[in-house]
Amino acid sequence: MIRYIAQRLVMLIPVLIGISIVTFSLLRFIPGDPARVMLGEHATAEQVAEFRKRMGLDDPLPIQYIRYLGRIIRGDLGRAIRTNELVTTELAQRLPATVELTLGAMFVACLFGITAGIIAAYYHNSLFDLITMVGALIGVSMPVFWLGLILMYIFGFKLKWLPPSGRITPGIPMPTIPEVYNIHLTGPMGEKVMWLLNFLSNFYILNSLVTGNWVALVDCLKHLILPSIALGTIPMSIIARMTRSSLLEVLHQDYIRTARAKGLRERAVIFRHALKNAFLPVITVIGLELGYLLAGAILTETIFSWPGMGRLVVDRILARDYPAVQGSVLVIAVLFVFINLAVDISYAYLDPRIRYE
Amino acid sequence: MERRLPAQTTLFRDALRRLFRNKLAIIGMVILGLFVFCALFAPWIAPYDPIAQDVTRRREPPSREHPFGMDEVGRDLLSRVIYGARVSLYVGVASVSLAIIAGTLIGAVSGYAGGWVDNVVMRIMDIMLAFPSLLLAIAIVAILGPGLLNMLYAIAFVSIPAYARIVRASVLAAKEMDYTLAARAIGCSSSRILFRHIMPNCLTPIIVQGTLGIATAILDAAGLSFLGLGAQPPTPEWGAMLGQGRGSVFTAPHVVIFPGLAIMLSVLGFNLLGDGLRDALDPRLRM
Repeated sequence: MIRYIAQRLVMLIPVLIGISIVTFSLLRFIPGDPARVMLGEHATAEQVAEFRKRMGLDDPLPIQYIRYLGRIIRGDLGRAIRTNELVTTELAQRLPATVELTLGAMFVACLFGITAGIIAAYYHNSLFDLITMVGALIGVSMPVFWLGLILMYIFGFKLKWLPPSGRITPGIPMPTIPEVYNIHLTGPMGEKVMWLLNFLSNFYILNSLVTGNWVALVDCLKHLILPSIALGTIPMSIIARMTRSSLLEVLHQDYIRTARAKGLRERAVIFRHALKNAFLPVITVIGLELGYLLAGAILTETIFSWPGMGRLVVDRILARDYPAVQGSVLVIAVLFVFINLAVDISYAYLDPRIRYE
Repeated sequence: MERRLPAQTTLFRDALRRLFRNKLAIIGMVILGLFVFCALFAPWIAPYDPIAQDVTRRREPPSREHPFGMDEVGRDLLSRVIYGARVSLYVGVASVSLAIIAGTLIGAVSGYAGGWVDNVVMRIMDIMLAFPSLLLAIAIVAILGPGLLNMLYAIAFVSIPAYARIVRASVLAAKEMDYTLAARAIGCSSSRILFRHIMPNCLTPIIVQGTLGIATAILDAAGLSFLGLGAQPPTPEWGAMLGQGRGSVFTAPHVVIFPGLAIMLSVLGFNLLGDGLRDALDPRLRM
């Protein structure tokens, strides 16, 4: 197993280098002078020249690339042009929101997708089966942003059950973990710990749980429901289809007949014998979809004014703030690669045959 | 004397027969037929000019005169949805066609040549697959600048690896077949072997993936246009209509309901047809 993980990690290196080349090229492929594009039409020649010098745009491309690579390895993604803030600082604020949304969507998708898939397979060819399958077909064809708007209109505006947008109601205090517990650390190590604690505080649900901020917790969960449903619909449909077809296949196996023949209770047959084997492909799908949710979040975040990374990317593209775009694209792609790696490894762990291929 | 064989059943006809027995596939074809009809005859069936504005009737709810109502600047929504079929189908079909052409060439050459060419090409494809496709498309549009054509190229570009991989896998399998050996033995050139003998075997998965790919392309295109990165106003594109109308979702929900329904139905149509084609062309893959 360790050898397999090591192998996969080595195979990752060219992909990561490739990703860095792509994000590096983002800036260089802009038609025209990137400096002029980023500074706007009204920039003077001196400003452009100064900017080119500051960004190192006058050096040969390979040197620029190596410098870029060195910087990203040290965790320096540059500064956003508009706000002049460190791109890493912006991402550290935005990433937790996206992760929370992605996990919320995955929870919705798994809960309803797997349940519906199991029931549909068990009552194969029943009315429930038909409804689930038609529902799943419609679900995979659903434009996330449209579903989001409709949910917002029905549950946020007409019925007023849930807040239509945002991540937390303005005015509800959300102190950080160090603030609540009065943690002040100094020194190089202490600063790192403080940074980490502040970063973790941006995970609102985690933060409100750790600090016992129940009002905020309930509020955050309420805000999370609609975007999670919108984002989770497509994976939910895919998971439901996968669970159903995989379970159907397993239910026809001999060992299921054996289990039934020896008089096991039906619940034991399904949950102990059938599901265990049916879940392998489902887990792969869940992992793959988790990666795609990161990208799908771009649209969902825009609809629900969710302050995540996806919205950051779109806002910065529209503002032509390329260093910020570069940084966000890089982080999302690297996350995506590592999620896929984790899926592969968990799959190999669950199914030993894969390791020996 | 010439001997007559019994009525021939070609592989193609056999698949068609299976396709037409599949109820879901037929529903898909009916839905798509409707959209194709709208796209082809838009100027004749659309009741109004899709970009003519009547600012006095902004956000008017559906009425007998305007069955889908008016949009946020006073344009007839029904006409815009009908014309929108043109844009969406065009982007979907064109981007997938471009991706198939490029992907097929890349995959075929890579698989047939083998060795380091194959290695390099496939690593490049791996890197492209390392990005979530929508994110990569957004990044490309960011470079090229927003617009319908740039969006089309971006969507085509990010779909290339899927086709390249399919074709490469088929070519690798077909390369080892006896008929390929036979073709080589009688002195066929490499390109002839590749295009006459090997490529026809890749058609099935390409057709299936292509049909399902159009569904994804339409969704991605609508998403990009929704964000303001694709079709620009006043082009009647469904995603752009949603994007521009989303401010009125609470006051005039009809402005977003109809374009969204059109996106969902057209995507559903391609998904149903794609599933049906997969079952008909390759029953082994049935889900």
